[in-house]
Amino acid sequence: MKRRKNIKNKKRFTQSKLSLFQKSDIKFSKSCPLSGKNAPDIDYKNIKILKKYISESGRILPSRVTSVSFKKQRKLARSIKRARLLALI
Amino acid sequence: MNCYEHTLIAKQDLQENQAKDLINKYKEIITKNSGKIVKTEEWGIKNFSHKIKNNRKGFYFHIKLEGTGQTIQELEKAENIDQILIRFLTVKVKNHDLNKIYFEKKDI
Repeated sequence: MKRRKNIKNKKRFTQSKLSLFQKSDIKFSKSCPLSGKNAPDIDYKNIKILKKYISESGRILPSRVTSVSFKKQRKLARSIKRARLLALI
Repeated sequence: MNCYEHTLIAKQDLQENQAKDLINKYKEIITKNSGKIVKTEEWGIKNFSHKIKNNRKGFYFHIKLEGTGQTIQELEKAENIDQILIRFLTVKVKNHDLNKIYFEKKDI
């Protein structure tokens, strides 16, 4: 029993990006996934991308979890709010 | 002239004729007020992620247009009164991106 508990705790801490709101199956890289050459477009119509950056309950994930750059995070937040207005997300 | 993207959500119980009339009505308003239509898309009926005014589904239209601030003002003035519409959104963009298609759609 004790061992199991230890392993669970270790897992929690070794995964660097884990918060209450993060979906477990998506892992985020250390550098910003939305900047660079082949980065996907941030747009309120591009729901596939936006859905990666919201929690199950629909809240916007913090950039400290997803490691999105500050500039892109602002753009992301704006487009998520637009998509919410149109009831797409 | 500025570039705008305009999205309309109408109630789901629209007939095909009604849908065409609705979009033509707003197209006229745009062209009358010194605007220019670049592209029109019909996204069709989609499920809402949450209820809006007791509606669960809506009929989506998307218009890419060029115009001035006054064009948008007149357009939104007409939309505010319209009973068939549930919601609309105008977004100012730098350039129109005509290549990317995010929703399966029919051109009108």
